[in-house]
Amino acid sequence: MQHEPPARPPSPSAIAVRNLRKDFLAPGGDRSFTVLDSISLTVDPGEFVSIVGPSGCGKSTLLNILAGIESYEAGCVDVAGHAGKANSQPRIGYVFQTPRLLNWLTVRDNILFVLEAQRIPQPRWDERIAKYLRMVGLAGQERNYPLRLSGGMQQRVAIARALAIEPDILLMDEPFSHLDAITARKMRLDLTEILATARPTILFVTHDLAEAVFLSDRIYMMNTKPARIFKEVIVPIPRPRGPEDSKVLDLEKALVSEFFAAVETKA
Amino acid sequence: MPSGVRSAALRAASIAALLLLWWAGSQLMRAPDVLPGPAAIARTIASDLASTGPEGQSAYFHIGITLARIAITFAASMLVGTAVGLAMGISRTLEGALMAIIPLLLTVPTILMVFLAVMWLGFSEAGGLVAVMTVVAPYVAVNIFEGTRAIDKSLIEMGLTFRASRALLVRKVYLPQLMPYIFSAFRYAFGMTWKVVALAETFGLKYGIGYMFFFWFEQFNMRQVLAWIVIFVILMLVLEHGVFARLESRAFFWRDSAARHSPA
Amino acid sequence: MLRSGPGIITVALAILLWQGASLFFLPVVFPGPLTLLNRMIEIYSDPASFRVVGQTLARIFEGFLLSMIAGIAFGILMGLKRDLEIFFDSWIMVLLTVPAVCWAFLSVLWFGISDAAPLLTIVLIVFPFVVINIWEGTKARQPDLTEMAAVYRAKRPLLLRKVIIPQLMPYIFSSLRIALSLSWKIALVAEAFGAGNGVGQELINWFQDTRVDMMLAWGVSFMLVMVAIDLLIFRVWARRVFAWRPQLAA
Repeated sequence: MQHEPPARPPSPSAIAVRNLRKDFLAPGGDRSFTVLDSISLTVDPGEFVSIVGPSGCGKSTLLNILAGIESYEAGCVDVAGHAGKANSQPRIGYVFQTPRLLNWLTVRDNILFVLEAQRIPQPRWDERIAKYLRMVGLAGQERNYPLRLSGGMQQRVAIARALAIEPDILLMDEPFSHLDAITARKMRLDLTEILATARPTILFVTHDLAEAVFLSDRIYMMNTKPARIFKEVIVPIPRPRGPEDSKVLDLEKALVSEFFAAVETKA
Repeated sequence: MPSGVRSAALRAASIAALLLLWWAGSQLMRAPDVLPGPAAIARTIASDLASTGPEGQSAYFHIGITLARIAITFAASMLVGTAVGLAMGISRTLEGALMAIIPLLLTVPTILMVFLAVMWLGFSEAGGLVAVMTVVAPYVAVNIFEGTRAIDKSLIEMGLTFRASRALLVRKVYLPQLMPYIFSAFRYAFGMTWKVVALAETFGLKYGIGYMFFFWFEQFNMRQVLAWIVIFVILMLVLEHGVFARLESRAFFWRDSAARHSPA
Repeated sequence: MLRSGPGIITVALAILLWQGASLFFLPVVFPGPLTLLNRMIEIYSDPASFRVVGQTLARIFEGFLLSMIAGIAFGILMGLKRDLEIFFDSWIMVLLTVPAVCWAFLSVLWFGISDAAPLLTIVLIVFPFVVINIWEGTKARQPDLTEMAAVYRAKRPLLLRKVIIPQLMPYIFSSLRIALSLSWKIALVAEAFGAGNGVGQELINWFQDTRVDMMLAWGVSFMLVMVAIDLLIFRVWARRVFAWRPQLAA
């Protein structure tokens, strides 16, 4: 990872991104275009921050950069204070749009896979698996296979998997967008309950403004081609919240027109 | 009647009908040499198994030799083919280089390969081995290679975000996805192997089931030719369906999705 | 396949190595590419050789056509009716398990050295292969479309023609290509044992005379003929027929 020398003392943020730029080569290979342009954002420890933007605007690319599997052209990326330190890796849990489970392994072995990857000592495995499966409401499913579970349950396993490594940060890329509306609503409610206990730092990406307002402490709004953050909003609504609470709906209404105006001009 | 019973009944009826057809055919063509009936062939097989055949070797000896040849050539072809296929998956240069030759190898008719092997390596086991490998290994290589191209990259990505080591990724993400291709290559390669072995035994190897085919063919002994064909067919059917099918269903049982409805 | 750099280099290198290696051997034992070319010219300077190739080609196409027609019909039947599928499954298995050389022997024992013997051999091998392919293709048909046709009260022949067979086209096409490839290789084996004429007969004659050069000359030239036919039918013609759906032509 490249970085500029910090201009000020290391921030206490869990995630700090400054002026990030990412370019892609156009198919055909001769021209490049900028996907992410001067992205700056922060996430404090324990915060739930959402990025809301249209699909395909580069939100997944941003998460991939934070996860360390994608390179970038310019800017500074600091995750849990690990910027620029060789061989240090922040613990990152990632929940993708599709569960990305290993279908040939049991639920238990799927979680075990990441525990082994993160070199978590073996004696801790059983308790972690049991604890986080219980947290997502799947206690007792250890020996089942992913293809025998519904889409919602598979995604819960993916969430348990990400939580089981007790990550510094949790990245979530539109995790409920492939579920039907009823399942998705339930999953959101369950997520807030899980987070009340576990309290991780979360960067959540979605195209659904209502979802962002319900779940987050702060929202960054992003438009596309190239992706830029055009607004930052604090969500001052106290928890616990209900998805149909008047305060939630009011804030969403207030933001909606501005959001759609900004993203539709570029669509 | 319940479907399981119905299937079993149909299968039984099918085999019975086959035997009946055979028997009817043998009755129609009265000269026994043209189509001996099932009973005659069964008797011939029994007597073959009980006694020493021509060349002074028992039937079990010939069967054993053929099975041994199949086992060795099959293992060699699978090993070489898989290694080459994997290598092609990793190196694009190798892929480009070999994809020019392999289709050529696959086009050469088996009989030409067998003739060449026999002419160059003589009537030896080495000749048989080379003949089988030149036919089967390229096929396996192509299959495995296509398997490497079908790997789901999103799962490798997932593993990378969780910082899985290369060894862990290969073991738990890469290889399990190759298994179906390895298996299907396995099955087809097995089918090809014993056919080439049978051909090689007919032309150039001493002893073995193929050798017996040709021996009795030259003597126009219909009864014996059919008897040996039946022995061969039963052996291969048992191996292909008894062994492979079972292995496959056990290895891939995780693919079944449950019919029951689970709450999200 | 020859479009890649490494590919061209490999082929060129292989030919050079081949020519080099052949210098160490007698041409009748290990012919080099130039010797082979010479022999092929010898062979085809004689007009009788074309008759030989013609005989083999005729056999191949007869066997192939018969197997395709019977195989498609049977495969569709088995795919449509589960009872037939279960019943004939074991028969097809048995057919598949008997090696080509055995059918070749049996055919000769039944029909003697004749045209019927190799034809029977080809059909007995290729027919079950086509059946399995088409059978699986038929089983894979989309039930929603059949349901839709039933709602609109489509009769059987219409259903077959407009709903089922079009879904089978990719399977028919791919099995066509492989069936042809199988047919000519089996034809050579069958001819070696029981035709009295044809390219296969040439192959076994030269094998018994231990003339590798002549055997390879016949074998390789015939391979080239079949590759040319395959390219002609399945690249050139198919590309035009399937212009609206390019993935089928691949």
